[in-house]
Amino acid sequence: MTALPRIALSPEGTEPIPPAEDAGAGPLSLDDPEAFGAVFDACFAEIHRYVAQRLGPDHAEDVVAETFLTAFRKRDSYDPSRASVRAWLYGIATNLVGRHRRLEVRTLRALGRYGSDVDAPGHDERVAARVSAQSLRPELAAAVAGLHRRDRDVLLLVALAGLSHEEVATALGIPYGTVGSRLSRARKKLRAALGGGNPMLDPEEAGRG
Amino acid sequence: MDDLRTLRELYGEPQADPFAAARVRVRVEDGVRDHLAAGAGRRPGAGFWTRLGAGPGRWRPRPSGAVAAAALTAVAMAAAVAVVGTTAGEPGAPGRVSAVSGRSILLAAASTAASEPEETGAYWRVRKLHRQVHPEPLGRGENRYRLVESRITEQWVARDGRVWSGSRALGARPASKADEDAWRRDGSPAEWSSRGRVLSTSPEEGRLTAATGKVPFSMAGRAMTFEQIQGLPTEAAALKDRVSRVVREQEAGGASAGGSPDGVVADALSGLLWSKPSPPAVRAAAYRALAELPNVRYLGEAADELGRTGAAFSFTLRTTPSVRRTLIIDPGDSQVLSSTATGLSEAGGDQVELVLEAGWTDDEPAAPGLP
Repeated sequence: MTALPRIALSPEGTEPIPPAEDAGAGPLSLDDPEAFGAVFDACFAEIHRYVAQRLGPDHAEDVVAETFLTAFRKRDSYDPSRASVRAWLYGIATNLVGRHRRLEVRTLRALGRYGSDVDAPGHDERVAARVSAQSLRPELAAAVAGLHRRDRDVLLLVALAGLSHEEVATALGIPYGTVGSRLSRARKKLRAALGGGNPMLDPEEAGRG
Repeated sequence: MDDLRTLRELYGEPQADPFAAARVRVRVEDGVRDHLAAGAGRRPGAGFWTRLGAGPGRWRPRPSGAVAAAALTAVAMAAAVAVVGTTAGEPGAPGRVSAVSGRSILLAAASTAASEPEETGAYWRVRKLHRQVHPEPLGRGENRYRLVESRITEQWVARDGRVWSGSRALGARPASKADEDAWRRDGSPAEWSSRGRVLSTSPEEGRLTAATGKVPFSMAGRAMTFEQIQGLPTEAAALKDRVSRVVREQEAGGASAGGSPDGVVADALSGLLWSKPSPPAVRAAAYRALAELPNVRYLGEAADELGRTGAAFSFTLRTTPSVRRTLIIDPGDSQVLSSTATGLSEAGGDQVELVLEAGWTDDEPAAPGLP
């Protein structure tokens, strides 16, 4: 069984794992085009979401296509013992996003000015955070744009992609301890931009009887 | 302060173009074919992609991106649910005898509640300890462990309707002895990131926020003022009718989709016992109404996470997937000691709320102290 040992597709998923075509394909399941297709289907949405958040929807498709092509071309360098396919793809996407610094800054400026288009549905307890994000949007966007790229990458892999310290470390090829120090540096600047207006969690009354 | 959540609010959710996945897939297929045709394919098997033909139509039916992402999430959730299953345990089967004694316990609590004097004090305050196991195991390599996060929350309500919320995260800790051992082997880290959040072992500073313009309470998802709670029926059948009507209206409005109506009624009634400044007569009526609900099961005597013993009752809040709430009440003084919500797959482990204090006080609102 060579197909996708690390990716979390399983019988619980809606799509059965396609049978491996080539039993001798080696440890790298990405070699198998069908398996690679399954990786694409499983990961496209979240990689696209991440890239569209950072660079805007207009340019996301180019970068996402390049991400998957790069993954296929470099499939021999993928080490399943070190990273999930997902974290590896996030790493590639992050490197490609980094080539579009001006576009990312422009995207952030637009987010700061107008916010994201879609008003995400939220529960009551999110309102406080959302209100604060709206009033401080320009400051927050400027703070993110002003971060050093390596700090911003770590911050956004944690905040937008939801990766763990360990996954960020393997995705970016940096030591585990470095993830923590870059993350705290970035968060310190975010907090400074958010000032004293602490958006506070209000866990009370969340759907309580 | 949750800076990462605020950051996500800034970025928002990009518009999902349903055709983007198909467009990009074709481009990737073409790129892969070109790459392989250029002689970079090193194994005979690698040509398979080419043999599949050009169009995505030749591929097996595939899930949409959203479904595929859901499949990944579903696996993560399945892992979380498995843990919930092992920690929660199956609520005991309701035998006839225990059902009868459960009813008598609730009726006894109703009598106790009814005989309580109207309390005095400037503020109604409830202070709770929330505990929840983080849904994902953390750590590196072989050293994986679960963390439990704790938070103190307080709600203060003045008689004129002003409201304050207090909150203080107490920091994350390994959930069990085995988890603690694994955490030590992992080098005893003090910070983790997971699911877009950063968990830390350090407690936060306590915070107190005045909630301006916010209706402080809700019943079955409907906002309720302090005055409205004081005016609730004090007769069990009338109270149940009132609550059921609110539940029906909220459902018609789509507010509690997916809920089990009987469970929502039980939850709304029990909420009057421990999450709201209900007058003694309303609390007594709520206990009597709960005693008559067939879906409220008595589980026997149980201890909460602080070791306080009482009578445990549970009911289903949602049927698919099943979410249950278990309340432990102290029949001696009719106070609710704890609530455990089980089966919240999206949230991870059981959501435990322990009531530390509930009632009227002349203390002034202040940021929560450490327990």
